[in-house]
Amino acid sequence: MFLLGSFCFAQTDWVKWESQQVSYELPAHQHHDYTIDKSGFGLSIISVARNAYYFFVSDLDGDNCAFLPSCSTFYIQAIKETSIFKGTLMFADRFTRDINFFKGLSHYPLLSTNKFLDPAYNYTLHSAKIKL
Amino acid sequence: MILSNTQKSFAAKSNSYFILLIFLIIPLTTNYCQLTTDNNFFSPYNRLKFGNYLYKDKDYLRAAKEFKEYLKVYSNDTVQFKFSNSFFKIGRFTEAADNFKGLFFSSTLSEEARLMFFESNFFQNDFNKFRNLADQDVYLSLKYRKEIERLKFTTYFFDIATLPAENIILEPFPDSVQSQIAKFYIQKKIPLHKNPTTAAILSTLLPGAGKIYTGEVGDGITALVTTALSAYLAYTNFNAGHQFRGWLFAGMTAFFYGGNIYGSAASAQIYNARIRFDFDKEVKFYFEQRNYFLPQIDL
Repeated sequence: MFLLGSFCFAQTDWVKWESQQVSYELPAHQHHDYTIDKSGFGLSIISVARNAYYFFVSDLDGDNCAFLPSCSTFYIQAIKETSIFKGTLMFADRFTRDINFFKGLSHYPLLSTNKFLDPAYNYTLHSAKIKL
Repeated sequence: MILSNTQKSFAAKSNSYFILLIFLIIPLTTNYCQLTTDNNFFSPYNRLKFGNYLYKDKDYLRAAKEFKEYLKVYSNDTVQFKFSNSFFKIGRFTEAADNFKGLFFSSTLSEEARLMFFESNFFQNDFNKFRNLADQDVYLSLKYRKEIERLKFTTYFFDIATLPAENIILEPFPDSVQSQIAKFYIQKKIPLHKNPTTAAILSTLLPGAGKIYTGEVGDGITALVTTALSAYLAYTNFNAGHQFRGWLFAGMTAFFYGGNIYGSAASAQIYNARIRFDFDKEVKFYFEQRNYFLPQIDL
């Protein structure tokens, strides 16, 4: 009986006890957040414009911005951090930096996703907010 | 060999005495062993023994717990020091400083405790408070006065307080490192910062110049090209009578031009932050490598 039990329930090489099923499937692509920011009239307008950009351009073109956050998200963050005027100036600067073909030579931290980390709070002209 | 009867009876008697002696000794030794072995695992003596073992094993959190239990019953300077040092080792500097204070007076480890008290305060990163403490004579150590003074002057490299004169800062440091400390002093006193206003003015005069001034040459050239190109397109479209396209490109010119002026000022600030960050990292590494010029105290 003992031997029978041992043979029946013995661990084999191909069935490991308590083994976890490992999935090698890549995680699904993150979809854009289409929620409209209702914290202010200006932000609502900008959110609608951003959603239109997501729907007509970004979702079709793919995730191609070299930066994290992407330029559109940066713009929203910049407006939230400062004002619509200052945020637009920050976005103009970011857009120019994105056009630069040699941005890899700059000092942006490179993330594991191969994107350059460039958050909006570093450009608010408040030196205390800068995080490197 | 043939033994006589007398000899036989003597041998039998001595055997019985020997057995009797053994039976007398065994209970006595057993009692003695029971007396010397403390069966109570949680007795202060065993707590201390286990605490010392954990302390040597660098399990400071659990060692502190054992020392605390021991100190509830007995008072011992060495254990108190180890108890405080356990907190220091695990980065609980406030508790470490408070417990080192308990050894300041009438203790053989008073001087060491005072030094460790200052070390604990130093690592709390409140350098202004540290300098105030170092200036109070009641806390000062006679034996480690120079070490504490060195630590005090080191704090000036880690915060934004006004630096004292160079010779005052250099004085407590050994001659062999004074040139390096002097270099740090100059870097701290006159950092190679870029002025955000200058960067903005340069970009106003020539798009991209401010970015080049802050070391972002690629961004500067891109800003110049985009602004110049959109301005040229606006000019040619206005000349050709295409009002809408003319205004569109004029708007784009303003967008790139304004963004570049703003971005140049921001870039100068980021440049300065990077200079500060690199300096802080270099200074911290330098002092950490040398244990802040402090002696290693461990009991």
